[in-house]
Amino acid sequence: MTRIACVLTTTGAATEPSAQSALLEVALAHSPRVEDAGAGRLYLDASGLQGLFGDEPRLAARLHRAAAAAGWPARVGIAGSRLAALAAAHMGPGATVVEPDGDAAYLAVAPLSLLDLSEELTARLSRWGLRTLGELVSLPTAGLFERLGGEGVWLQRLARGDDPRPLASWKPALLFEESAECEWGAETLAPVVERLGELAARVCERLGERGLAADGFEWVCRLDGARVHDGALAPAVPMTDGAAVAGLLRLALEARPPRGIVRALTLRARPVRITATQESLTDRSRPSPRLLAATLNRLVALVGADGIGAPALLDSHRPDAVGLGAYAPPLSFSPPSPLRGDRILALRRLRPPAPAAVTLASGRPVALRSSRLAGRIVAGVGPWRSSGEWWSQHPWLQDEWDVELADGTLCRLAHDGSAWHLAGIYD
Amino acid sequence: MAIPIESSPPPGWDREGIDGLLGLFPPGRLSEIVGPRSSGGSSLLLALIARITTSDSGGGSGGGGQVAFVDGMDALDPASAASAGVDLSALLWVKCGGRLRTALSAADLLARCPGFSLIVLDLDELGPIPASAQMRLQRAVEGGDTALVVRSARHREGSPASLVVATRRLAPRWMGLRPLTRLAGLRTEVSIARSRLHTLSCLGRGQGEESWTLDWTL
Repeated sequence: MTRIACVLTTTGAATEPSAQSALLEVALAHSPRVEDAGAGRLYLDASGLQGLFGDEPRLAARLHRAAAAAGWPARVGIAGSRLAALAAAHMGPGATVVEPDGDAAYLAVAPLSLLDLSEELTARLSRWGLRTLGELVSLPTAGLFERLGGEGVWLQRLARGDDPRPLASWKPALLFEESAECEWGAETLAPVVERLGELAARVCERLGERGLAADGFEWVCRLDGARVHDGALAPAVPMTDGAAVAGLLRLALEARPPRGIVRALTLRARPVRITATQESLTDRSRPSPRLLAATLNRLVALVGADGIGAPALLDSHRPDAVGLGAYAPPLSFSPPSPLRGDRILALRRLRPPAPAAVTLASGRPVALRSSRLAGRIVAGVGPWRSSGEWWSQHPWLQDEWDVELADGTLCRLAHDGSAWHLAGIYD
Repeated sequence: MAIPIESSPPPGWDREGIDGLLGLFPPGRLSEIVGPRSSGGSSLLLALIARITTSDSGGGSGGGGQVAFVDGMDALDPASAASAGVDLSALLWVKCGGRLRTALSAADLLARCPGFSLIVLDLDELGPIPASAQMRLQRAVEGGDTALVVRSARHREGSPASLVVATRRLAPRWMGLRPLTRLAGLRTEVSIARSRLHTLSCLGRGQGEESWTLDWTL
């Protein structure tokens, strides 16, 4: 027989996240199955707990006391369904137990508001003159279905104490965090890196035990004088290899070392579940995640974070509208896409475009002089006019010319309304 | 050590055309594409990257490969690359801001990370690079499956490159009579300046016939 206990906060703590988490901890200390119903309300499975806590009135009283001891007074109700347990908690003095098979009778006098109805439905039932759950139960089911559809029949079942839904178990979030203290204080980077490596190994071991990996690491170094040096690391792929994580942490700390004596360290990992996939025998090889993560970190240190990534075309007609996204080779095999390109003449961009002096004759460029190229223009087409984003703070306007210099170089010139630029060279 | 396997090319594979040319770039070796401005070197490079990232038309290997592009002059135009068929998500773009030493260091780091099918070191006018640096890069990819291609304007004598491909501008193609209306493309010639490979004979080309005329369209 299913027995459910409801814990309902009595004060204005319904919106306090700390109250909810404290009550969830209280409930989890009494039952392995707890449902977080939100807004200062939670349910727990009260079946089979007699051996641990005695009969149901004792369990209810114990929950009532435990919630108060946690700093968040709550009322407790135990019944055969969620709604009856909620009604008992709502209407009872502090700890109330509804006798088995007594849910329907107990709910008959309970207010309709316990059903968490929408405003529209509340107003509709109010217009029908319904105030209690018993009045809802007394309505003919067929007529209720005609007017409210399946929802009406479902509400009537709930109002009778007939709720077949199992509890949706709440589990506390897994926290992968390790800390260590440096008893004598670490003045150089080497001991700090060594201790962080030990923490990384412990965190990764715990992740591995649960079949998880981490896609982010955060560390906090507590320094002398109550100062803090913290940082974060996001490897290119989720990792569980403690040695590899330690290597990445060392690189990150070398790039930005703590300025002071380190007294304590904390390392926190953000867990993710990775699905195991099988490589294809015919697939091309890919960089190993561990090596790739280390290589990308070294490249970031070399060229900067904004100088490395996968190129991405932006949704704009602005010339050279490109961005850099995160480079992440797929972990699983994907079928190759067919070769769709043709023999395309590549443009080599000049970033930023080189200022140029262009001589015009009859409105057409006839000579070019810039830091990169100079010469007589023997052929040219244009202008290709484009503009956009005139509705924004950064409108743009450009005339483009494709020209051939006397030495055979093909290049693209651009005029933005005020000056000429060498935008690129065809190659 | 990668062992080349001779197999029948897929349907539509142009053995004596650009497919045969692109198939010459050997894994585990250093190759060079040299040529002046507007000689089609970058277009050839994009065609090679497109072939590796997107298609299995490379003679039976499935799945797109990963390509690292070390861009010495920040000159890569992703729009051109996408038009050429490059899968941009399979491309790691490293922008070096015109610093030769940074570009060499980046290429060296990538060459020591196995798994990339191709590493491109695009130096253009920053090159040619010192022979010692070329030797170091050659050693880093030796014995692996990664092809390393250096694009520069000039070739340096004493380079350890296994394959040196030279590009030459023939003529631009314009549309319309005078006045011209549009740049339609560029005709270039690609020739093998030096090769230590034995695959040229597989293409049915003899000594002195190692050149291709390619039309690039805009």
